[in-house]
Amino acid sequence: MMQIHQKMHLSRSLRTIWRHRRRVIMGFALLAMLALFAFGCDVDTPQNTFDPKGPVADKEKNVFLWAMWPALVIMIAVLAATVIIMLRFRRRSEDYIPKQTHGNTTLELAWTLAPALLLLGLGIPMVAVLWDIGRDPSDDAFVVNVEGQRFLWRFEYPELIDENGNPAQTFTEVTVPAGREVALHITSIDVIHSFWVPKLAGKLDAVPGRTNTMWLKADEPGSFAGQCAEFCGLDHANMSLIMHALGEEDFDAWANELTAGDAAAAIAPDGDTGG
Amino acid sequence: MAHAETGQLETSTGIDNRKLFMWLFLASECLFFGSLIAAYLLYRGQHDVPCLGGDLSACVFPTDRTINGVEYEGIFDIPFTSVSAFVLLMSSVSMVLALAAIQRGNIRAMRIWLFTTALLGALFVGGQAFEFTEFYREGLDLDTNLFGSTFFVLTGFHGAHVTVGVLVLLSMLVWSGRGKVQQKDSLNIELVGLYWHFVDVVWIVIFTLIYLIQP
Amino acid sequence: MATVAQPAGNPLAQALRDVRQLAEDKYSIWSWIATVDHKRIGVMYGVTAFIFFLLGGAEALLLRLQLSSPNATVLDPDQFNRLFTMHGTTMVFLVVMPLSAAFFNLLVPLMIGARDVAFPRLNSFSFWAFLGAGIFLNASFFIRGNIFNGDLGAPDGGWFGYSPLTSNEFSPGNGIDFWILGLLMLGVASLAGGFNFVVTILNMRAPGMTMLRMPLFVWMTLVTSLLIVFAMPVITVALFELLFDRLYNANFFNTEMGGSPLLWQHMFWLFGHPEVYILILPAMGIVSEILPTFSKKPLFGYPFVVFSGVAIGFMSWGVWVHHMYTTGLGTIATSAFGISTLLIGVPTGVKIFNWLGTMWGGSISLKAPLMFSAGFITMFTIGGLSGILHSMVPSDFQQQDTYFVVAHFHYVLFGGAIFALFAGAYYWFSKFTGKMLHDGLGQLHFWIMFIGFNLTFFPMHMSGLLGMPRRVYTYQEGLGFDIWNLLSTVGGFLIAASMLVFIFNVIYSLRKSEKADRDPWDGRTLEWSLPSPVPHYNFKEIPVVESRDAFWNEKYKEDEAGVVIPVVAGASDDEEEHDGHGIHMPSPSFFPLIAAAGLPVLATGLIYDPALVAVGAATTMIGVFGWAIEPATEGE
Repeated sequence: MMQIHQKMHLSRSLRTIWRHRRRVIMGFALLAMLALFAFGCDVDTPQNTFDPKGPVADKEKNVFLWAMWPALVIMIAVLAATVIIMLRFRRRSEDYIPKQTHGNTTLELAWTLAPALLLLGLGIPMVAVLWDIGRDPSDDAFVVNVEGQRFLWRFEYPELIDENGNPAQTFTEVTVPAGREVALHITSIDVIHSFWVPKLAGKLDAVPGRTNTMWLKADEPGSFAGQCAEFCGLDHANMSLIMHALGEEDFDAWANELTAGDAAAAIAPDGDTGG
Repeated sequence: MAHAETGQLETSTGIDNRKLFMWLFLASECLFFGSLIAAYLLYRGQHDVPCLGGDLSACVFPTDRTINGVEYEGIFDIPFTSVSAFVLLMSSVSMVLALAAIQRGNIRAMRIWLFTTALLGALFVGGQAFEFTEFYREGLDLDTNLFGSTFFVLTGFHGAHVTVGVLVLLSMLVWSGRGKVQQKDSLNIELVGLYWHFVDVVWIVIFTLIYLIQP
Repeated sequence: MATVAQPAGNPLAQALRDVRQLAEDKYSIWSWIATVDHKRIGVMYGVTAFIFFLLGGAEALLLRLQLSSPNATVLDPDQFNRLFTMHGTTMVFLVVMPLSAAFFNLLVPLMIGARDVAFPRLNSFSFWAFLGAGIFLNASFFIRGNIFNGDLGAPDGGWFGYSPLTSNEFSPGNGIDFWILGLLMLGVASLAGGFNFVVTILNMRAPGMTMLRMPLFVWMTLVTSLLIVFAMPVITVALFELLFDRLYNANFFNTEMGGSPLLWQHMFWLFGHPEVYILILPAMGIVSEILPTFSKKPLFGYPFVVFSGVAIGFMSWGVWVHHMYTTGLGTIATSAFGISTLLIGVPTGVKIFNWLGTMWGGSISLKAPLMFSAGFITMFTIGGLSGILHSMVPSDFQQQDTYFVVAHFHYVLFGGAIFALFAGAYYWFSKFTGKMLHDGLGQLHFWIMFIGFNLTFFPMHMSGLLGMPRRVYTYQEGLGFDIWNLLSTVGGFLIAASMLVFIFNVIYSLRKSEKADRDPWDGRTLEWSLPSPVPHYNFKEIPVVESRDAFWNEKYKEDEAGVVIPVVAGASDDEEEHDGHGIHMPSPSFFPLIAAAGLPVLATGLIYDPALVAVGAATTMIGVFGWAIEPATEGE
C-alpha cells in the first residue's frame, strides 16, 4: 500500500513539473547563470578585475558592484515578470477577447521617473569616484613613462638616472615601489595601444601624438599581470606586461642595480633598443 | 471600411514627394559638409607642426603669419576668391530667374537663365581650378600639411557638387531644347534650384570660415 | 498589366520598351531583376541578408574554434584578424541593416495603406547597391593569393577601423581599401533607403491615418530612417578622409603631420552610436506589433512608446564618447557623457515596461512569434543592463575592450535584434508566401537558439571581468579564461544547429500545399486585411482609416458594457480576386541596377586601375540618365 501511495505522489509531482516546465526551465537557467557568475568572481587568477590589489582597481570594482546589484534585481524582475505573465495570461480560448486597455498615464510617469532617479542616483556618486581616479597624480608620485609599440611595452624611469645621465629603461616588466603612488605617462610610437594591469587599475589608451596620464598604487608588494587592451595588429594578443611592486628596501636595491652602469642602453627582447 | 479614390498626386503633408526628398537630401548634405568643415576647423590651429620635408620652410600657410619670429607668406588671394564667390552668388540669382520664367510659362527665358546659371557655375569651377593649380605651384598638395589635406578635400567636394549641378543644368537645357520641359514641369526646375542654392550657401559658409575669418 | 500602345517614336524608346517587356512576365528572372515592387525587393533583401548571416556565422564559428582552448592553432593571427573584422562588418552592415530594410520594404506600404514606396526605382537601386557592395567586400578574401592555402586578403583592421592602424604604414595591401569602399557603397544604399522611407511615411499614408494612428513599426521605421539620413554622412566623410590618407598620402590621421587618431574615433562613433539604434529600433518595432496581436490587446501606452522611440533618436547623438572613455579625454568629458549614457536607458526601460503592460491581462498565444518576442524582451533587458554597467565610467575603465563588452553587444544585437527579426519572420512569413511556417519546428528553433545563444555569450561576462581583452587571437593558460571560452564555442555550434532547423522549416513549409489564411493571427494592422500572398497592387482600393489598429477596429467593436465583440462581417468585396485592372503601378526598370552596377566597378578601379574608374562612372551615369528620362509608369 505504501509503495502505491509513494508512486502516486511521485507521478503527481512529475506531472506538475511537466505542466510548469517552462517556468522550471527558466528557473534552472537563471540559477545556472547566477552560479556561473558567482563562480567567476571568486577565482584568484592573474588578471581578475574582481581581485583588486590597489585603491584604483578597488574603487572601480565598487562602482561596478553599486550598479550590478540593482541591475541584477531588475534583470530577475523583468525575466520573472515575462515568464509569469506568459504563463498566467496564456490563451485558453480563441474566442475570448480581453479588455482593450490602452495605457495608464500614472504608470508611465512612474516608470519614467523612477528609473531616471535611480540612474542619476548611480551617476552622481559615480562622477565623484571618477574625479578621484582621474585626478592628476600627486607631486610625490613615482613617475614612469610608458611607451607602447608593436608589440611590446617600454618603460622609462625619469627619476632613475644612470651613470651617463640617461633615464633607466626596461621592457615588458616594470618595477614600482609598493605602497606609494605611481604616475604613468602613457604614449605610443606607432598605433593606439592600451595599458592595462587589471588588479591595480583600469586601462588607459596609449595614443601616438599625445600623452595620457594616470595614477595608481599597489597596496602591497607583488607581481601583477597586464595586457595591451587595444587591437594593434598581428601580435596584439601577446603584448603582455608585468608590473612588480617592491617594498621600500627591495625597491631601492633594484633601483641602484638598474642605474649602475649603462642602464639606458637596456636591450629590448627582440634586440631593438628603445625609441 | 470606407474606400477612397486613389489620389495619386495628393500627399499627406501636401508637399510633393520629390520636393520632400530634396529637402531631406540637403539636410543630409549639411551633415556631410559640416563634418568636412569641422575637420578643417579642428586642425586649423596646428601650423607649428612639421610639414612634408620636415621643417617649417616647407610649409604652406593659408594667410600671412609669424612663427618664432620668422615671417611666412600666406597663399590665399582674397580678392580673387571674392570675385569667384560673387560669380557663384550671381548664378543663384539667374537660377531664381529661370524658375520664375518657367512658372510663367516662358520656356525661352528659362533656357536663357539656365544657360547663364550653368555658365556662371562653370566659371566658378574654372576659378577654383585656377586657384588650386596656383596653390599647387606654390607647394601646396594633399600631403603637404594638415592645411593641404583639409582644404583640398573640403573645397574639392564642394567643387564636385557644383560640377554635378552644372551637368544637371546642361541636361535640363538639352531636354528643354527638345520641348520636353513645359510649364507643368516647373517642379523639376525648382528642385534643381534648391540644390543649386544649397551649394551656393555652402560656399558662403566655406568662404567665410576658411578664407575670411582667421584665428 | 496591359502595355498601352505607343506611337512609333524613336528607336531608343522602342528598345527601352522591348527590354521592359522582358520584365513583364512575373515569373521570369528578368522580372525579379527589374522589379520595383517593394514586396519583391523586400524578399530579395531578406534572402540576401540571410545568406550573409550564414557567412558571418561561419566566420564566427571559425573564431570560436580558435578560441576554444589556449594557444590553439586552428587559425593564425593574420587569419583571425581578418575573420573577426569580416564577422563584425558583415553582421552589422550586411545582415542586421538589410534585414531591417527587408521588413521596411515588405511592411511599411501595406501598414500605411499605400501601393508602394515613394520612389520605387530608388528602392531597387538601394538593393542592388547593397548586393554589389556585399559581393565587393567579400571579394577581398581572394585578393592576396590562394585562400585554400589559408592566404586571406580580407581587411584586418576590425569593423571599427581605428587609425593609425588602418593607415598605409600599418596596414599595407588593399584589404582596408576594400573595407572603406565597401562601406562607402553600403552607405549610399542605406541613405537612398532612408530618404525613400521618410518620404513614404510622411507623404503616402492612407486618408485618415494621422501620425498617431500609424502602426508602431512604421514609427520606428521613420526614426531609424531619419537616423540613417543624418548619421551616414558623418561616416562617409570619415571613410573618404581615411581613403585619401591611404591613396594620396593625405594627413587626416597621420600623427607625424599633426593629424589626430582620435578624430577618426570621434567621427566613427558620432555615426556609430546612432548606428546601434538604427540596428535595434526596427526590431523594437517588430516586437511592438507582435505582442499586441498575440495578447489580443492594444500596445500599452502607444504614445509613450512612440515618444520614447523619438527620444532615443535624439538622445543617441549625445552619448558617442562612451565608446572612448579610455582614450584620455579628461574627467569633464567622460563625466558628462557618463550621465548622458545612463539617461538614455530611461526611454528603453519605458518601452520594456510598456511591452509587459501589453501582455498583462491579455490572452497570450505562445506560438513561435511570441516566443521569439519574449526572448527579445528578456535577452535585450540583460544586454541593456550590462550597458548600464558600462555607463559607469570608472568600472568601464576595467570593462572596455574586454569580453564584457562583447557579451553586452551580442546580447542586444543577437538576443535583441536577431531574435526580434526571427519573430517577425515567423509572424509575417505567410503574408508574403501564402504558407505558414511550421510552429512546432519554430518552437524547436527557438529553444535550441535560446539555449545556444546564452551558452555562447553569458560566459563572456565572466571572461571579460577576469581580464580577457577583445580581438585577441589566443590567450595564455592560467588566466582563468579556458572554461568560459570552451562553453562559448559549444554554444556557437548550438546556434548553428538552430539555423539548420530554421532553414529546414522554410523549405518544408514552402513546399506544403496548404495555403494560409489571410489573417491567421487575428491581426490588428492593415496588412492582415489583404490576401496572402499580397497582390502586386496591394490594395484594391486605398482604405480610409478611422483609428489606430485600423484593421482590428474593423473586425471588433466595443458594446455599451465595454465588452469587445466581433463585427458581423458584411458581404466582403475583398473576397473576389482582382486582376488589378485600372490600377497603374510603377513599371519595372533595369536602370537602377545599371546605376548600382557601376559602383563596385568604380571602386575596383580606384584600387587597381583608373580605366575601371571611368568604366564604372560611365555605367552609373548611363543608369542615372536612363532612369531620369524613362517614364516611371508605362503610358505616361
